[in-house]
Amino acid sequence: MKKTFMIIGILLVIFSNSYAQADFSINGYLKTDNRMLTDDNSFTWNENQLGLKFEGSYSDDYHLFSEVRVRGFGFPEISQTADLQGKDKIYKWDLEFREAYLDLYQFGLQDLDVRIGRQIITWGTADKLNPTGNICPEDLEDVFNFGEQACVNSVLATYYWKDFTFSGVYVPTFTPAVLPSGIYASALSEPMEFPTGMTLRNSSDKIILPEQRFTESSQAAFKVGTNLFDYDLSVSYYYGRDDLPLCNKVAINPIDTLGTVDVAAEMIYPKMQVIGADFAGNLFNVGIWGEAAFTIPDEVEMQTVMGDEIQKSIALKDDPYCKFVLGGDYTFKNGIYLNTQYLHGFVHERGNDDLNDYLTFRFEKKFFNDELKIVPLGGAVSVTDWDDYRNNYGFVANPEITYYPYDNVEIITGAYILNGKGSNMFSSLKDNDEMYFKAKVSF
Amino acid sequence: MKKMLITITMLLIWVCGSIYAQTPTAEDILKNSDAVVNAPQDQEISLKMTLTDKGGNKKVREMKMYQKGDEMRLIRFLSPADQKGVSFLSLPDDVQYLYLPAFHKVRRIASHIKNDNFAGTDFSYDDMSASKYAEEYDATLLEKTDDLYILELIPKHGVEKSYSKLKMWVRQDNFYPVKVEFYDNKSTLWKLFESRNIKKHGEYWVASEAEMTDLKKQHSTKMITEKIKLNKGLSDNIFTKRNLKRVK
Repeated sequence: MKKTFMIIGILLVIFSNSYAQADFSINGYLKTDNRMLTDDNSFTWNENQLGLKFEGSYSDDYHLFSEVRVRGFGFPEISQTADLQGKDKIYKWDLEFREAYLDLYQFGLQDLDVRIGRQIITWGTADKLNPTGNICPEDLEDVFNFGEQACVNSVLATYYWKDFTFSGVYVPTFTPAVLPSGIYASALSEPMEFPTGMTLRNSSDKIILPEQRFTESSQAAFKVGTNLFDYDLSVSYYYGRDDLPLCNKVAINPIDTLGTVDVAAEMIYPKMQVIGADFAGNLFNVGIWGEAAFTIPDEVEMQTVMGDEIQKSIALKDDPYCKFVLGGDYTFKNGIYLNTQYLHGFVHERGNDDLNDYLTFRFEKKFFNDELKIVPLGGAVSVTDWDDYRNNYGFVANPEITYYPYDNVEIITGAYILNGKGSNMFSSLKDNDEMYFKAKVSF
Repeated sequence: MKKMLITITMLLIWVCGSIYAQTPTAEDILKNSDAVVNAPQDQEISLKMTLTDKGGNKKVREMKMYQKGDEMRLIRFLSPADQKGVSFLSLPDDVQYLYLPAFHKVRRIASHIKNDNFAGTDFSYDDMSASKYAEEYDATLLEKTDDLYILELIPKHGVEKSYSKLKMWVRQDNFYPVKVEFYDNKSTLWKLFESRNIKKHGEYWVASEAEMTDLKKQHSTKMITEKIKLNKGLSDNIFTKRNLKRVK
């Protein structure tokens, strides 16, 4: 950790010195995020964050950018006296090395730009939920912050020819998605089901990451974009891996004759190919967009080991499936802004049988010269079985007020109200209604 | 008597002819006005915007604006910190794009947003596009004062604007627009735009100060030109989605 601080210190000195000499800047923000469950007043999130952004360019030929985040969490992890002697246990914190990349403009060719380094690559025209954006893994740490992506170390080359843009990406190493934690840990996973009479004592799992070599961990993607009939259009292809783990082996070890078992699971990241297409434009004054991702997964076999007996089945079929989003936005004459999207297949859903339908919506209105923004109605609804939708639905409502008292200062308060029936993401969290308070100052 | 009538008629014809020759049509005035404002082949301007609310509270934004001809304009925010890097591109055929660094995406601006306020200012996205009033409005000459033409502008058939009409004051000596009143759909005065400190930079007339006031909100946005470079041969590549997300 000392080494990390030293590196940051050196970076700061270098950037500070450079600042005076060239077009360099150091910006950042301070952020606090606090959440509380409404039913028992327990705090679920208490985070303070300092983000620093370094940016600069000595010439028109290149540009560099880096962002680091220092985050402190207010929940001590203390279980014994010795823990009280460590500040990192009392006040947990981490350092996130987010983006760090170099842009090379007109690199070798007049119309070629290259970006090398740790970066976020967002493809797709939809808001936050992008089935065609598969290069960067999902960052689902905050499960309500849909669409947040983690960075990947990669090379992105973009070539411009007339009205066409050709992009190619190579990611040498595999980075898995960040999963939800704490009370949200089970939000994206189905509960384990056991035959009648079987009781779980302990469960464990093992993640098997792909070997970090060219044929196993590499990902590549290509995209061609253009404008046709006043619509922005693109088609893309991705070859890589699903960034969420899939269970391919379960070992069930009987402990006693009463049916008590220990379960050990093994999980892998299946290979997949995605052919994508997206569009954005206007239709009768309404902004519209859409994207579709035709996913072709590799078949994954499932092994269930119970004693000496091994049962084989299919964990993931190689049948292609299609996730898609259709969305639109409109500003009414009274200033109310509406943004809505219909989504077939959320980030964690795979295979034709598992794709569910979601509708996201957000009404917002700004007041006092944009100093106050109120979202009286925002959220998402999901239906997992249209034949019995009364017992298979879920929703999250997210009313929110944002106040900008001064330049660079943002104060947000709101709530997540969840409900539902059946087995779905929102109904699994229905006891977790919470209120939040966030503040951010940029500098 | 007949001679007198002929003389009066001739005199009237001469007077009318003289007036006609001296006063250009409303359409010509508007075209000339657009031409004067967009006269430089290209412009690179550093701007400081001061937003003032009805309580006198002020907010400051700094930005850089690039313009080529009368159809291509790129605006990039330099401050405040939470808006740094936000960039806006206006292209021919009413095509507009916005780059929001936080989202890592260039987004096409839908037509319903074009009449929204641009980044909390009193200018709409549409107002921030390069001004081409003659293309979008039909003009009528309301009045000619000693040194100004006063025009009324009505959106042309098929052109959607959030203003029902405009009233424009144009200088006679150089056709520079000094004041524009914007009326809402109920024909109530909504916004007032004023150009000040109009001086010659080389062969071009430039207003180094402009202010848009929203009379309903009692909120104003004053733009001060801090640096200006004209006819530096800006490349078309500046006005591309490629450049929109670039820092330099």
